[in-house]
Amino acid sequence: MIESLIILGALSGAVYALLALGFTLIYGVADVVNMAHGAFYMLGAYAFSIILVDLGYSSITNPSSFLLITALILAAFFVALIGAIIYRLLVHPLIEDALSVMVVTIGVTLIAQQVILLAFGDVDMHVPRLLEGYGVLLGVKVAYHELLSFSLSLGLIAILWIFISKSKIGGAMRAAAQDREAAMLMGVNTERLYILTMAISASLAAIAGILLNPPAASTLLREWTYPLVMSFAIVVLGGLGSIKGSLVGAFIIGYVEQSVRVFFPGMGFLKGAAALTVMVLVLVFRPKGIFGKRVEAE
Amino acid sequence: MIRMVGTYLKRIYSAFATNVFDVPPRLLSLLFFMLLLFLPVAKLELHILRVITIAFIFSIFAASWDLLVGRAGQVSLGHALFFGIGAYLSAFLSKFHGFPLWATFPLSMLFCALVAVLLGFPCLRVTGPYLTLVTMAFPLILSVGLFALEPPFGGEGGIALPPRLLPIEDLYQQRIAEYYLILFLLFVSGVVLYKLANSKTGIVLVSILDNEMASKASGINITKYKLLAWAVSALFASLAGCLYAHYIQTTPPGIVLGLTTSFYPVIMTILGGIGTIYGPIVGAFTLWSLNEVFEFTEELRSILYIAIIIIFVLKWPKGIAKFVVEKLDELTEKRELNDKKK
Repeated sequence: MIESLIILGALSGAVYALLALGFTLIYGVADVVNMAHGAFYMLGAYAFSIILVDLGYSSITNPSSFLLITALILAAFFVALIGAIIYRLLVHPLIEDALSVMVVTIGVTLIAQQVILLAFGDVDMHVPRLLEGYGVLLGVKVAYHELLSFSLSLGLIAILWIFISKSKIGGAMRAAAQDREAAMLMGVNTERLYILTMAISASLAAIAGILLNPPAASTLLREWTYPLVMSFAIVVLGGLGSIKGSLVGAFIIGYVEQSVRVFFPGMGFLKGAAALTVMVLVLVFRPKGIFGKRVEAE
Repeated sequence: MIRMVGTYLKRIYSAFATNVFDVPPRLLSLLFFMLLLFLPVAKLELHILRVITIAFIFSIFAASWDLLVGRAGQVSLGHALFFGIGAYLSAFLSKFHGFPLWATFPLSMLFCALVAVLLGFPCLRVTGPYLTLVTMAFPLILSVGLFALEPPFGGEGGIALPPRLLPIEDLYQQRIAEYYLILFLLFVSGVVLYKLANSKTGIVLVSILDNEMASKASGINITKYKLLAWAVSALFASLAGCLYAHYIQTTPPGIVLGLTTSFYPVIMTILGGIGTIYGPIVGAFTLWSLNEVFEFTEELRSILYIAIIIIFVLKWPKGIAKFVVEKLDELTEKRELNDKKK
């Protein structure tokens, strides 16, 4: 039981980290609380399934891993493009006003939900697993898909980390995060930088949507609330805008969810509430999250 | 005697003229309420009447959010908490404990104010986007709890209520009576919230929003004022919740405590103009009427009306009401300039 908790918590924590990283990235760099993050998650999963069908994939007759990878990359690019367009047209003109940004991104989410409802109707859509089959790890039955998701997520996070800390664009991102105007004076084109950040953030959400959906096939795919709320819980727990924080937060939330599943079987609907309760409790004692800056002493 | 009455009337009229007629937003609001007062004369369809009444309820809800956010700067994304508690408590008391309907309203309102103060204490430690995100968690946690309850106390459908906000036999007459009752409550809530927002307390709240340190240095008890804003806001939000529950005759936790219900006041307030109290009312009516305008195309309805709201927000980021008021001010200034030239 404890082994199962440890392994499953880590597996779901890694994908949650990928999901929350996008949210924290765009907040950290551009100060945008992106309410459309759940919509990107949802669009990613839908785009993946549609592209796969168009490419002629079938889990029985034509289970080609090449097609799966192509579809994954195409879906991530597609959602990144949508994110960039939305940012340029709708968010950037309002960047100074946090509440208007919130309203516009909520609007985008509701429209995305409605478009999907119109296009596919009120049915569940099946997102194929990247790998079929199960293996046994320390006596716990683990799907290969989840193992692959775990390593893929950690790999992407590592690449992103190196990109932000080593590359020139990453340096510009860090500069803009610290002081937008100073970055502009140093010759950083902040508008283009923010568009790129939004594209990265959206594609991370999309990949998380593709990786996280098959195990939760019982829920409707057009559910954008749960990923959005989970991203909130994770980034707030870890400290908004802190990459290290969202990693830690994601694993905490992953373990909380799995503990609910392990210790209260049959009460699965409680896991979201449990995660949120943990977030509230942490915030009461550390109002800026675990890795956020502390509030100045009163 | 007659002369005395005459002077009194004159004095009331002149006070009214300076306080209402010379202030464009107040005059416009008055005209708007007059219009709403005479609207049912036009023998509207039941369906339209229902939509307008629900717009009243959400106007109260959005105006209460505006006091908390536009004045006190406590950006809450969980206002559905008070809406939902109000709806649930009022339904629960009237259905299972036999309280008369009119008594459940003040009880739920006071209870919500108490909840707001209790939650406000830990929330005051949290600022900025953290506050926004943490407040969002409360209604979601509560809705899971209520969802877990067995019917008839909870479950997916919530508490089913008898179809009687007012005991009148004829359905149309009842809807008209409910229309006037809720319009009256909207008027009272609007005036109270507007008065409070523009009173000394409201100005203190704005000063805290502008510069917390400076207000603290001026000897203002910040905690007290912020908690006051939470309590008053919760009071009116729960009034809206009570009305909603008894108007639609049920309290599904997924709706009264849902994320969308928390989003509505944000959208309405930004659409209408934040910090004005009348702005959210304008926003609520714009939102519901847009929703009705596109009734002919059931499928594209929500896409179209949300798209138009996004365009409005991009075009007038300060809100429709503020835009109109600024235009009016410009016009009067121009006229005054012309008068002086003559």
